[in-house]
Amino acid sequence: MKNQASSSQKTSKVGLISLFNRFISFEKGSTFLPPFSFGVWIFFLAGLIPSLIVGWIIYPMVLYSKQPQPMNFNHALHLNPEIVDGIEGDTETERCLSCHAFREDGTFAGIPKLDKCLECHDDPESPLGETPEEQEFLTKYVAEEREIPWLSYYRQPDCVYFSHIAHVKMGDQDCETCHGDHGKTEKLPAYKVNRMTGYSINIWGRNIAGYKTNTWDRMKMDDCAECHTENDLEENNACFVCHK
Amino acid sequence: MEINRRHFIALIVGGAAGINATPLPWKSTDDIAIWTQNWPWVPVPPTGEFSHVKSICTLCPGGCGIEVRKVDDRAVKIEGRTDYPVNPGGICPLGMGGLQLLYNESIRFTGPMKRVGPRGSGKFIAITWDEALSTIAYRISDLRKQGRPEALAAIDGNPTMSTMASMIERLLKAVGSPNYVRIPSAEDTCRMTNLVMQGTEGPMAYDLENADYILSFGSGLLEGWGAPGRVMNAWGLWHEHTAKRKARVVQIESRASNTASKADQWLAPKPGTEAALALGLAHVIIKDHLYNADFVDAYSFGFNNWASSDGKKHMGYKTMVLNSYSPDQVAEITGLIPKDIVALARDFAGAKTPIATCGKGKGYLNGSLYEFMAVQSLNALVGNINMPGGVLVSDPPPLSPLPQTQNDTIASEGLKKHRLDHAGSGRYPFSKSLIGDFAKTITKSSKSPVNTLLVFSANPDFTLPDGGVFREALKKVPFIVSFSPYQDETSYMADLILPDHTYLEKMDDVVWPTGLQYPLYGISKPVVKPVYATRHSGDVIMQLAKRIGGSVGSSFPWKKYDAVLKETFLG
Repeated sequence: MKNQASSSQKTSKVGLISLFNRFISFEKGSTFLPPFSFGVWIFFLAGLIPSLIVGWIIYPMVLYSKQPQPMNFNHALHLNPEIVDGIEGDTETERCLSCHAFREDGTFAGIPKLDKCLECHDDPESPLGETPEEQEFLTKYVAEEREIPWLSYYRQPDCVYFSHIAHVKMGDQDCETCHGDHGKTEKLPAYKVNRMTGYSINIWGRNIAGYKTNTWDRMKMDDCAECHTENDLEENNACFVCHK
Repeated sequence: MEINRRHFIALIVGGAAGINATPLPWKSTDDIAIWTQNWPWVPVPPTGEFSHVKSICTLCPGGCGIEVRKVDDRAVKIEGRTDYPVNPGGICPLGMGGLQLLYNESIRFTGPMKRVGPRGSGKFIAITWDEALSTIAYRISDLRKQGRPEALAAIDGNPTMSTMASMIERLLKAVGSPNYVRIPSAEDTCRMTNLVMQGTEGPMAYDLENADYILSFGSGLLEGWGAPGRVMNAWGLWHEHTAKRKARVVQIESRASNTASKADQWLAPKPGTEAALALGLAHVIIKDHLYNADFVDAYSFGFNNWASSDGKKHMGYKTMVLNSYSPDQVAEITGLIPKDIVALARDFAGAKTPIATCGKGKGYLNGSLYEFMAVQSLNALVGNINMPGGVLVSDPPPLSPLPQTQNDTIASEGLKKHRLDHAGSGRYPFSKSLIGDFAKTITKSSKSPVNTLLVFSANPDFTLPDGGVFREALKKVPFIVSFSPYQDETSYMADLILPDHTYLEKMDDVVWPTGLQYPLYGISKPVVKPVYATRHSGDVIMQLAKRIGGSVGSSFPWKKYDAVLKETFLG
């Protein structure tokens, strides 16, 4: 300890660069005594690297629980007007609305109920396609008149008032803006839910750092505000617009 | 290399630096904040399609109109209907909280049950409807075989004129038992009062909305008296700032009830002396010539002394109250101050449309016939009967009576037996049923004269103010069947539970909501599908009758209770 104290006194006039050199120098026996030995650095890294691994890799794995959907649904197939009769509309949004419809009172129905499926799949004995998913759907749900317990990826928490019709009809937003290419997927992704908050992973975003490249990557309050601001609708960022 | 303190510090600093360079602390902080906003026990309404179902509330005989908001199949809110004549938008706290009665599993029976523990312990095991029905059908058939069908008795809490009440009475008649006992209600005494004083057995109705002085003899106007949605609404009208003349509410009640504390004036006579006070008021009104002489002359009998056809002289009402009920005498009886009695009488007689109401509390106890007559005579003195803002007397609504039961000899013999409660006998000529005497007869007998007791829509073990006599009677009855949807004191004493639907799950009727100015027939409809494996008691009675068979079965020709309702309201 004495050595160190005296050496720092010695180098007080050397300046910043040499101070830095001294700080990073591992050379033994050099005129500048290294403040930290090689061993100390090893221990530092032994603390740093595992904690980075824990924080970036293990933490997200532990934080989110993964639940499979009750069955697969092929959005790409169902959104193809050449295959499916009931799908109408010139734009992608209109085609989405064929099933994810608005009710008469303007509220959004969200994930369709079994009734909607039955508009086409009305006979459990005669499948319309050849997929095993459809077979499962017909025997497990249609025949037993049971609702499919879908897990919703995009539901905002109860404290948030979100109106689809205000955004889709008045705001002229495409479904894609918030829901990405969900309508083009052939397989439903696993539903991941935050163990602590119970929110779907799509709210925070799939990137654990909260980093986003697309508008649909994240659905936190700042993302709502960002879009409102971009569209000169800053008045909609007032608290009571969404937190009623 | 020697490991020293410095190395450990380096490890910790490295770990701390590393963890802070990851999302772990920052996201965890955010998530913990969110977690504290989402406690799992905080109820969150379900998401789904909103719908509204209109029905009427049958929790009490008031029959208010309700609108139930639903999210998909789940009922989430009960509100008063604004388009229903009984309760323009109003609803009582119980009606508003009715979903608790529907969805609170811990207070309901989820299916038919058989008692396994001692009586009152609430230990039951689930059985099938088939087993439950055959058990009870066998017992009743057995009683009939033994030639003592009168050992079957029923206690019924359904409103007086309701179709359910007539179905239960019909079952007893068809089996051959006169022991159909009703839960007492102030409405029974109102009917008796009307029968004795007006010559009609219709219910007592009050034009509360147009009255400007309400002299309430213990009526819980804010506590569920009459049709609560309507009465509370009327209370609002009386006190509206824009009203031309505000109504004055005077509460005569020995207890500081909510109504008493909110009334313009509260007088607390000694309990049970209300009739004397009413006659004391009459004394002042007659002495000061404040009564409506035209009305009294034209429409009353026995006001002055009179002689019957055999030449016998009788004391009239006037002489009686002038002799025996002076303010000083009444003050002695009631414990009130004489000048208060005089002032109250003058206020009452001086009002434009005064009403004196009777029926204490919610009207769930029958009360004294003499007291009701004394109060009704005040209404007659001020001539406010069948007038706007007065007491209205009319006949019951013209509903079709159900066809006669087909009684075989066993039933006819059984019906000739005396009622266990002596109602309708020389001692109680005007009473239809007396549950207190029914219980006393059982407790006094060495062996219970009732073998099988059916209890419908009532919890007499809890509600009767009889100091536990009814409970003692229940202990002696060999077999008790409860049709209650709820786990309550009486059903805990039962041997067999055949749970009814709750009021939001079934179709039923309310004939003439209590105290409404005009006859009204309301039908409730199922708001939600039955939550549990319960059955409508009306249907169960028919299924039971069919199992007993013979003339009992053929007395119930309908398939479903709905068909009975349809036949009734055709009028």
